[in-house]
Amino acid sequence: MPGDEGLLDRVVDWLPKTLVFKRVASWTLVPLWARLTPVKPLPGGPHLSFQHGDNVQCMMNLIMPLKVKSPIGRAEAALAIAQNKDAIFAGLNNVGTVHFARFVIVGDNICMFSVYDGDFTNYIRDFIATIGSVFNAVVELVEGGDDVIPCEENVEAFIQWVHERDLYQVPDTATDFLRDQEALNGEGAVSGNDDLTLLPRKLVLQLRANANVSLGSGYRAYPGFSVAQVRKQLGLGW
Amino acid sequence: MFDLADLQGNILRGYTKKPHVRYLILEVADPIAARRWLAASVSGRSDGVPQITTGNWGANRPDTCFNIGLTYEGLRALGTPSASLEMFPNEFVEGMTARAWKLGDVGPSAPENWPAPFNEPKRIHLIATIYAENVEQLDEIQERALTDGRALRLLAIREGCSFPDDVVHFGYRDNITQPRFEGVHDPERYPDKQPRAPLGTVLLGHPTNLEGLKWRVPLPAALGHNGTFNAFRVLEQDVAGFEKYLDRAASDLLEHPQVEELLPHGAEEKIGKGLSRRAALREIVAANLCGRWRDGTPLALSADAPDPKADLTDFDYVGESRCPYGAHIRRCNPRGGQIVQRVANNSRRLVRRGVPYGPAYDPAKPGDRDEPKRGLLGNFIGASLGAQFEAMSCDWLNLGLQDPRITGSNDPIAGANDAGTSWFDLPLKSGGSIRLRGLPQFVRTRGGAYTFLPSLSAIRFLGSPTI
Repeated sequence: MPGDEGLLDRVVDWLPKTLVFKRVASWTLVPLWARLTPVKPLPGGPHLSFQHGDNVQCMMNLIMPLKVKSPIGRAEAALAIAQNKDAIFAGLNNVGTVHFARFVIVGDNICMFSVYDGDFTNYIRDFIATIGSVFNAVVELVEGGDDVIPCEENVEAFIQWVHERDLYQVPDTATDFLRDQEALNGEGAVSGNDDLTLLPRKLVLQLRANANVSLGSGYRAYPGFSVAQVRKQLGLGW
Repeated sequence: MFDLADLQGNILRGYTKKPHVRYLILEVADPIAARRWLAASVSGRSDGVPQITTGNWGANRPDTCFNIGLTYEGLRALGTPSASLEMFPNEFVEGMTARAWKLGDVGPSAPENWPAPFNEPKRIHLIATIYAENVEQLDEIQERALTDGRALRLLAIREGCSFPDDVVHFGYRDNITQPRFEGVHDPERYPDKQPRAPLGTVLLGHPTNLEGLKWRVPLPAALGHNGTFNAFRVLEQDVAGFEKYLDRAASDLLEHPQVEELLPHGAEEKIGKGLSRRAALREIVAANLCGRWRDGTPLALSADAPDPKADLTDFDYVGESRCPYGAHIRRCNPRGGQIVQRVANNSRRLVRRGVPYGPAYDPAKPGDRDEPKRGLLGNFIGASLGAQFEAMSCDWLNLGLQDPRITGSNDPIAGANDAGTSWFDLPLKSGGSIRLRGLPQFVRTRGGAYTFLPSLSAIRFLGSPTI
């Protein structure tokens, strides 16, 4: 009962909310934790699922740091997209499994967010086969991109490179997050080691190792449909 | 031009005259001895380690054939340099069990449920395959392969034998269509509406089906060039369950208001001599699930009844083809038909080598509780497991992404179906369809491995005392 709390209880509850405590925690406690419990970044992309509806309208969230970190670099990125607009539309049409592709500049990063159906590697591979030149034009401007272009001649490495940059999608439930951590550490799928009191610490450590994440896997106002199902239903041809 | 003698023979040949097939699943016991074994397998000597059968038989057909595939763990165990190992594709490095969800190996097919030796995938290093005319020959070759116990340790055997006329367990004629390759097969000899496949469909280091795209060839060239990858699968088939489902579907159809459109009265004789109406409906369902009548006649050419005169491969799914969109052969290979992934037409083709295991099902004793285990030992060969076998399995066989009319359903025969949610549409001449439901899972994966089928140069490279 709130009224029964002593002074000490109130101080303990209040302390973590203070600015001083938060600073101290992030400067000393978190790095200390991280050294004691090394955490690998969780792999990006949608969670593996065999449920129909879960494997359509999947999210890809790429945040790629530009080589040139200035308005000039950002303008180059903007031009690379604008100049390839027609090819992008043609690619979307021929690959047939992409709902939306969005390019966004945030800070000195070019971000590519898309919603696609089915398997990630098939999606990227089909895109390389259709409009590899657009990937090359964008990735050329990105840190570490030179190693994997032209993408047509580095298909496997390019797909892996993109996958490594796809944001981790933090599950909506605590147990799923703990499961991901276990799977990453090679622990059994059902260890039963779901100590929820450890969740906040694990999440902090993961977000330290993995600063950019997607919260959830995208939220839809309707069940999952493929691009072709939508197009067919609307009479647009597919 | 390339040298057929540098390829393992099972890549381009089916060895159809050798019905007995035995797989030796092996672990490297000692890397030095194992490398010596590999060198001996290409030494040209007729005693000792069996000689690898190449793609060039010369004047004489060999009595037995012998081929090998190496897993990633196998390449490691042999001491392959890490610079070379790093160049192998991810899916091969991770191995088949790590890719389970892409292959539909979930639930009863999940690798956690696989029996030995497939429950310890990291111990599977080399899979040797013997093809022979009789079991004595299999035994002899096996003995020669395992004489040097220091080289390889036998973990398990899987053995199959072809049935007459290429029939397989569900009662269909199989082994009909294979990709024909540019520069290898004469198009006049093999009528096929499908374009001849570029050699890179099946061999590393050659142009692929996706224009301008190249798969990474592990270096040195002696190791990677002219090699390819194989998905070896042990697929258990529930034939009793399949026949029972046909019974049930036929009974349901007899009551269906549109059954007359599916099978006009009096047309039963065309389906098969002396068939009852119910038996004829069973065959119609079986044909639609597969895309072929059990004798192999493609529905794309003859949708109303089997036709012994119809060509078995010379067809396509263009226009108003009456092969169901969801039929097994159309899902796995949509040929030139309309699909969502337009760039992918003809790009996910595979060379398939399969042999049944276990005794043929006896319909006179249906529902026997102690049905023996039976199924298919399958090999799905292509230069890129990711772009071919996995792409086909993940988006086409299951999920059905290639056509909005089947999206959300799995392959009716080989898919990871759940009777509670599965469905399949039987097309009607009028353009409508009858939806079948309640298809259980007929095929369960009981093991498998991704292997690399090295060229003869690669076997020599791997067999040298110091790699």
